[in-house]
Amino acid sequence: MALRLWASSTANVLKLSSAACRTHHLSSPFSLSRCFSTVLDGLKYANSHEWVKHEGSVATIGITDHAQDHLGEVVFVDLPEPGGSVKQGGSFGAVESVKATSDVNSPISGEIIEVNASLKETPGLINSSPYEGGWMIKVKPNSPAELDSLLGPKEYTKFCQEEDAAH
Amino acid sequence: MTLRYTYDLNYLIFKHMGMRVLRSLEVLKLGVVNYLDALKLQEKLVLDRKSHRICDTLLSLQHPPTYTVGKRQTVHNLLIPQSELEQIGAELHYTQRGGDITFHGPHQAILYPIISLRDMGIGARSYVEKMELTMIEMAAQYGVKACPGLAGETGVWVGERKIGAIGVRISNGITSHGLAFNIDPDLSYFRHIVPCGIADKEVTSLRRETDSVLPPEEIMQEQLVSCFARIFGYDNLIWKEDASVVTDGTE
Repeated sequence: MALRLWASSTANVLKLSSAACRTHHLSSPFSLSRCFSTVLDGLKYANSHEWVKHEGSVATIGITDHAQDHLGEVVFVDLPEPGGSVKQGGSFGAVESVKATSDVNSPISGEIIEVNASLKETPGLINSSPYEGGWMIKVKPNSPAELDSLLGPKEYTKFCQEEDAAH
Repeated sequence: MTLRYTYDLNYLIFKHMGMRVLRSLEVLKLGVVNYLDALKLQEKLVLDRKSHRICDTLLSLQHPPTYTVGKRQTVHNLLIPQSELEQIGAELHYTQRGGDITFHGPHQAILYPIISLRDMGIGARSYVEKMELTMIEMAAQYGVKACPGLAGETGVWVGERKIGAIGVRISNGITSHGLAFNIDPDLSYFRHIVPCGIADKEVTSLRRETDSVLPPEEIMQEQLVSCFARIFGYDNLIWKEDASVVTDGTE
């Protein structure tokens, strides 16, 4: 009996996420697009809401659409100098929005080869273009196997929905 | 990663089955605490919260006269030379929080929540909005109509006058720093800064905005904590009064 209850609850849980979203639509007309943040194919994701694009020997890193939406307008970006190194899960910088400074963590380990200088003048690129113009650092990965421990687009989408529904 | 997924799924299942998960908040009433001591305590608590050694925790305190700047180091908004700070009995500290320059002092109620935004399922923007609501509700209890700031002016305002400030740090989804609500601080200290980097706007206090009789400050701090707990949905409050926790483990 308990097992059946658990099983039907699991099924309902997944429906529950989208039900919560629908109620959200009714309470706020502007949340219609916000409910389903953009998640791109071809990228890998960390559960701390950073993305990484691996192209040959260079990996580009930034924060996701879901992250920038939950942060609000970004007014300041704190980035490291090129030449430094990052560790998977370690903080490499921060973004400031609405009087909150949020640390940004690296999804992979490696050497920082370039940082996005445009973010100094135009920190809002993170909001308007989180996957393109709002990229934060480029890294030479030193452990490509780390990418396997990250989330794919479908898993990350589900993760976001569950995180938003969990309250 | 797998472990966390299972935990969250179980949480959702329990919730769906109507088994309400009790949300606990440990409240530490600390009295007047030096800024650096409070900062060290917060750093320790953030690590403890991150490794699940403690539940969501809230520090309720006041500071001696202290100016602080945020991560952007906007010390140009301090209008007197740093060498004169000692003469007026104040300190200056650089911090990692968001926000501009501000002043903390006696008779200003401060809350530093050390909570997991991930467990709560909210982001920075929603967190800051709830912090604003906490202070708005507090002001309302004394008949003062306060409202959140316009875009770019986070904080709590009574008309054009600022009654509450917010500056927060979020690290691995755990918050530190927080809010400051002006009960009756010495507002002349604010003349030495461009508060929060917003020129031409006054700073005010609850004392200035209401004719109501104000109860003892300890009661008011508790009321502020209750507003916070209500808005953030905590149903189990564990109150602790132990000033020694500030120096334990920070030596």
